[in-house]
Amino acid sequence: MAESLPVVKGTLDVLVLKALSWGPMHGFEVTRWLEERSGGKLGIEDSALYQSLYRLEERGFLSGEWGVTENNRRARYYRVTSDGRTHLRAQATQWVKYAEAVSGILSAPARST
Amino acid sequence: MPLIRPGIRRLFDLTLRRRDRVKHDVEEEIALHIDLRAEQLRARGTGPDEARLEALRRFGTLDLALPAMAQTAYRRDRRMGIREWLEATAQDTRYALRGLRREPLFTGFAVATLALGIGANAAVYGVVDRLLIRGPEHLNDPDRIVRITATITDERRGEVTFGSFGWVMYDNLRRHATAFDGVAAYDRGSTTLGRGRTARVIESGYATADFFTVLGVRPALGRFYQADEDDPVSPARVVVIGDALWRGQFGGDRSIVGREIELGDGQYTVVGVAPKGFTGVNLRRVDVWIPMSISSRNVTSDWTRSWNASWLQLVGRVKQGVTPAAAGAEATRAHRASYDGLPSRNLAQARIGLVPLHFTGEGTEASETAVSRWLLGVTVVVLLIACTNVSNLLLARAVRRRGEVGVRLALGAARARLARLFLTESVLLAAFGGVMALLVAAGISTMVRQFLLSDIEWPASPVSARVLGVCLFVSLVVGLAVGLAPAAHAARGSLMSAIQRGHPSGRRLGFGAWPTVLQAGLTASLLIGAGLFTLSLHRARTAHLGFESERVLVGQIYWIDEDQSDSAAQAVARAERAQAWQRALERVRVMPGIERAALGVGSPFGSSFSIRLFVPGWDSIPRLPTGGPYISAVTSDYFATVGTRLMRGRVFRETEREGTDRVAVVNETMARTLWPDRDAIGQCIRMWEVHGPCSRVVGIVEDARRYELREEPTMQYYIPLGQERGFGGTSLFARPQSTPRSVADALKHTIETNDALIERAVAWPMREAIDPILRPWRLGATIFGLGGLLALLVAALGLYSVMSYSVAQRSHELGVRIALGASSRRIVALVMRQSLVLAAAGLAGGILVAVWSGRWVEGLLFETTVREPSVIGLTIAVLVATAVAASLLPALRARSVDPMRALRSD
Repeated sequence: MAESLPVVKGTLDVLVLKALSWGPMHGFEVTRWLEERSGGKLGIEDSALYQSLYRLEERGFLSGEWGVTENNRRARYYRVTSDGRTHLRAQATQWVKYAEAVSGILSAPARST
Repeated sequence: MPLIRPGIRRLFDLTLRRRDRVKHDVEEEIALHIDLRAEQLRARGTGPDEARLEALRRFGTLDLALPAMAQTAYRRDRRMGIREWLEATAQDTRYALRGLRREPLFTGFAVATLALGIGANAAVYGVVDRLLIRGPEHLNDPDRIVRITATITDERRGEVTFGSFGWVMYDNLRRHATAFDGVAAYDRGSTTLGRGRTARVIESGYATADFFTVLGVRPALGRFYQADEDDPVSPARVVVIGDALWRGQFGGDRSIVGREIELGDGQYTVVGVAPKGFTGVNLRRVDVWIPMSISSRNVTSDWTRSWNASWLQLVGRVKQGVTPAAAGAEATRAHRASYDGLPSRNLAQARIGLVPLHFTGEGTEASETAVSRWLLGVTVVVLLIACTNVSNLLLARAVRRRGEVGVRLALGAARARLARLFLTESVLLAAFGGVMALLVAAGISTMVRQFLLSDIEWPASPVSARVLGVCLFVSLVVGLAVGLAPAAHAARGSLMSAIQRGHPSGRRLGFGAWPTVLQAGLTASLLIGAGLFTLSLHRARTAHLGFESERVLVGQIYWIDEDQSDSAAQAVARAERAQAWQRALERVRVMPGIERAALGVGSPFGSSFSIRLFVPGWDSIPRLPTGGPYISAVTSDYFATVGTRLMRGRVFRETEREGTDRVAVVNETMARTLWPDRDAIGQCIRMWEVHGPCSRVVGIVEDARRYELREEPTMQYYIPLGQERGFGGTSLFARPQSTPRSVADALKHTIETNDALIERAVAWPMREAIDPILRPWRLGATIFGLGGLLALLVAALGLYSVMSYSVAQRSHELGVRIALGASSRRIVALVMRQSLVLAAAGLAGGILVAVWSGRWVEGLLFETTVREPSVIGLTIAVLVATAVAASLLPALRARSVDPMRALRSD
């Protein structure tokens, strides 16, 4: 895990929304999903993830509800609200455009002087 | 018994420990995460202890994250709580609205009842606000402005407090009382505006120049007059006009300042316009403010020195930080030190008192204030009745909807939620009631203003912002209050158990009994109040005052003004005017429809005079508490015209007038007081001087009241018109065959035509002079009458609904009775009896309350006690009749209960 990349500020919320767009999960499931999808490359502190979850719920993009895991433990499951979906779409599009623009600039051949 | 019933407590069981719960949840969530992470690490081969440490490390700084998360969670939770609450409320509201629409009769009745109750209260609040709370307009820092009274100790009457003073006393207080920022004097009266027959009577205020600075009022236009314009020796003829007159008469013309206007006694220059609604320290309209020094000259010629006349009312502004008691003591000292009148007089040792502005000079509350307090009391009672009624209806309705409630409970609705639904319904009802109440308030206010308190200036519209606020507030409180009983029942669950038992609360009469008894009781006490005041009014109106005011017209003349500078010219004018009066009297005598007519100087409820009188056998005339003896100069027909009865002897002859034999007629009190053991007839009285000519007493007439309905006996005597000296001011009295009002215009016309000296005349029924003193009883009768009627209506409808409900509840029992052969008559009697028992219980309570509270009311009544049998009897009759009427329909319905259906329904 020493190789992990720091997460650019503001990205985490979009990633969490993306994770949850697949269906309701509890906090650890979101963590695991993100780690699997990024191949462990993203270094996300667990507490930051929870703060992101709480933040998103407070803003109405997620709704949390207590449920029970397969092992019968009480867990809080999060689901994307319709507001959250709209937000995710907008943010994702923006991110992709931004990333294209940035990588377009960075990957352009250096001009020799 | 706990302070708050469990049902109610549960109703308001808010999640007070929400913060703790949220924190606990956050901790649980994190604990799960760390456990799962450790599990994951262990699955990958890490040792258990290491896995746990690694999980904790990966989570990050727990002690930083936890509070932040808990805070966010709490905020989120609270917001969701509000949203949920709003959603639930919206849902309840929709549901309640549907329910109310389904039962329009119930809804309409409840809304109307509440509208009447709330509206009456809001309207009365408007009145109380004006009379008691806000007081006169435009006063700066009004708490420091006080009315000044004086209390003297009289050998006979004990302590006597009064509020009118002479100029000297005012001047002394103004100069020497250091506890005041200022002391001012005022008086009021009426004058005329304009000349000739188009002149109109307007309200005038007379005030010293410092009146305006003491009150701290600013003019709307121009300025108030200054001290040098109110100079006792040479006052300026300046006037400040009121806003109403300025707008009404002068079209709000700003160039009015500096113009001349024609008032009763000549030309005045307008120097300013008072702000809208400014009425001085009273609440009655004032059209013109005139310097005190101008009007004071009419009192006596030595008004700046005299201790014998008192015509000024005093107000003062107490210095900042000085208590009224201290200021009063200081003023007392200042008065005693500066007193320079006869040392033997009580006034020398008078005690100065300070009272609030809404008090009278006698140091007691003004009658309007007392009235407004009664008004408030009555409307609160009406509101109480309305609330009980609606609450009762809501309960009955809740029971009626037991099926629906049962289903909701079975479906898992929380009891608290059910209770909320009931509260939502009642608050909705009250809200509709509140909106309707605004209409009611506007109507009642307008009525009160026009008929009850018509001479008070009302600057604000009937439904002001404050009235609106009160309406809103009362509606909310009422909404919660009336819904509380059914809601608490629902929350406690007793509603269901009551329903399951078949009879609510297991009693035969059910929920409705006590509120109905309460309503009947309150209604009974209001009706008794109405009866007592009506009786007082009737007795006061028909009381024989020593004259028959309802049969008499009074006329007065305005003369074509000529400037009489020297006294010789004045004497000529006086003689000419006396002749003009005689000519007018002759014209009136032959007028069709006039039975009798007379002239008089000094008349009841008009003016009264007292001059020096000497009676052989008395060193000095005994002084009665009421002062006097009072003298009138009248023509021969005076007594028959005004209806003062001759007791013995004779009245004057036509021939007894100026320059003829000197004769006098005395009243019974005077005869009894001056000649206790002799016949008054034939006795001699001397006016003005010890050795003056002797006037022989030729007759004794009954006592006539001077200014009050309740008055201690006064010595009065009469001499023929023309034999008087030193006082004047003639009036004409006419006794028409029909009602005085219908002849007033004709009389005015007869007096003022065909005489070059007369500019115009006025004529009014004598009754009008007496009307103001009937006001307290008229007000009381109207207030209690309207309140009682309203209460009766509401209570009747309440009783009806309770009886209908009870019959529905008892249909099983009634069915059994019918099946067992009870006759229709017995069934009807059964239901009627129940209703009458309720009414009787209420009546008993109401009468007890009325009699018990009598000592507070009796002072306000006229020759009437609280135990007046006719009033109590009538109240009983009205309430019983109402109870019978209200239960007639339910009783008839009970008769037609189908026994088969009633039995089958179990």
